[in-house]
Amino acid sequence: MITFENIDVVYPNGFKGLRNVNLQINKGEFVAIVGLSGAGKSTLIRTVNGLVPFTSGTLTVGDVVVDPRSKTKLRRLRSRVGMIFQSFNLVSRVSVLNNVLVGRSAETPTWRSLLGWYRAEDKELAFQSLERVGIVDKAYMRASSLSGGQQQRVAIARVLAQDPEVILADEPVASLDPPTAHKVMRDLRRIQQELGITTIVNMHHLDLARSYADRIIGMRGGEVVFDGPVEEATDEVIEQVYQRSLTAEDIVTADTASE
Amino acid sequence: MPPTSTTTRPAPPRPSGLVYLGLAGLAVVAFILFWITRESGDVLLIPLGFVTLWAPLNPVIALVVMLAALALCFKARIGTMGAFGALAFIIMSYWAGATINFTLLEIPERWSNVEPRLMAFMDPNWSYIWTVRDQWLITISMAVVATLIGCAIGLVLAMYASPVSSPNKGTSQAIKAINSVIRSIPDVGWALLFVAFIGGTAHGLGPMAGILALLMFNIGIVAKLLSETIDAVNPGPVEAADASGANLTQRNRLAILPQVLPGFVSYGLYVFELNIRASAALGIVGVGGIGSAMMLQLNRFQFENVAAILIALIAVVLLVDMFSMYIRRKLL
Repeated sequence: MITFENIDVVYPNGFKGLRNVNLQINKGEFVAIVGLSGAGKSTLIRTVNGLVPFTSGTLTVGDVVVDPRSKTKLRRLRSRVGMIFQSFNLVSRVSVLNNVLVGRSAETPTWRSLLGWYRAEDKELAFQSLERVGIVDKAYMRASSLSGGQQQRVAIARVLAQDPEVILADEPVASLDPPTAHKVMRDLRRIQQELGITTIVNMHHLDLARSYADRIIGMRGGEVVFDGPVEEATDEVIEQVYQRSLTAEDIVTADTASE
Repeated sequence: MPPTSTTTRPAPPRPSGLVYLGLAGLAVVAFILFWITRESGDVLLIPLGFVTLWAPLNPVIALVVMLAALALCFKARIGTMGAFGALAFIIMSYWAGATINFTLLEIPERWSNVEPRLMAFMDPNWSYIWTVRDQWLITISMAVVATLIGCAIGLVLAMYASPVSSPNKGTSQAIKAINSVIRSIPDVGWALLFVAFIGGTAHGLGPMAGILALLMFNIGIVAKLLSETIDAVNPGPVEAADASGANLTQRNRLAILPQVLPGFVSYGLYVFELNIRASAALGIVGVGGIGSAMMLQLNRFQFENVAAILIALIAVVLLVDMFSMYIRRKLL
């Protein structure tokens, strides 16, 4: 469903973000990308929705070839590709519902966005998304009054409101405490399986990657150095990817199953 | 017991004595320049028995002040840049004062003129405030209309001026340049222009010209302040809006506007306060309102009325100030 063919990303200052990446990600897969900081995980994820333009190669999402220079094509692509971020990126002063409605922007005419007057169908979709993440009771509360885990669930609801084919997640649980991190990853996995959405998640916590992903991709220095199902991603293999031995920072502590 | 330290504490830095000597030399050079270019004839005479030292009074005072300042700075271990700054400040002040003959000494000389006016000022004619209530209305409505329209236009301009929210760098630079031009003309300048082009109170168009002048004044301020606030916005939500497929206008409205709203309201209230004061001043150039009334009374030497108007103006500005603090608290 997502195909990278000889993708290079060279930044304006000459730095090579991605080198000759070739990947094939299938529909409905849950892929975890692991690697040290600066390995190119964020760059890889951002090429899929054009936030980082790639400089050579071909990238296909679904049946659309990604053209990073065309703003209209990017908009249409981004409406089908949702993204969640490490720092949640909600608009703090605005209500949870209005944050989720941002996800409908691609399908909403500009004048409706300007006035904040969304169609009833859009509001219904937003409420359904909030129900799916189990946070609909907070719909009219200010986004900043929620806890970290709740904010990330709102971000997931925002993505669901887009009715996406692909979900990208850039270190979605790095800012959360261990029990909440597990909760959010569980929600993400459940939604992904229920709706069959292709999901690519960056993370540096190996136990989370192994618990929730189908497939693991290891990156180092802008290149893909490992690509295989979760069973093959043993500690030795990951140490090869990191080029150092694993430390306690590479895992989140045990899941408290009471949550 | 304080912990004993095995390392010796460093001594406080001492500024270079040589540079200070150089600065003292600079002070002497300045003194000579003041002497040569003096315009006042006052002279200081120091009789010493067999010879009388004389020197022009003001330069000598300046020299004493400069050397005293340098000695103080050296004692306080102020660095050479700081001492140079103090010296430059004294030299500049002296030079500026000498050029425009600024001394407060002239006020006592003109006291016979000042006194009756001051006395009239101290005894305001309170009933006059009611007499000019129409003018008050004009002034305040000018301020309100100019604030509302100015803020609206300023918001749009700021969105185009800041590189964070504008479509490309070129547009942002162009709008910033236009804004610089608008801001370089003071409010009185705009008022004179509009009164000349449109007509002043004689044609009944005074307040119109006043509003237009205040508008240009407001747009310049709001656009600049707001565009700087937009530059400082948290980029996270903006990236999220982009990733959701929002176009430029949507992302500005949904991700940037909520973040700058408190600042925007703050600037709006600030500009409203400025407008009230400015429209009082603009009345002098013919836009009507309380400024015109004040000008009229000044020309007729009715200082009791002028005092009354001024005191009422202070009260109004204070009220607006308290109102804006209340609004800010409620909003934040």
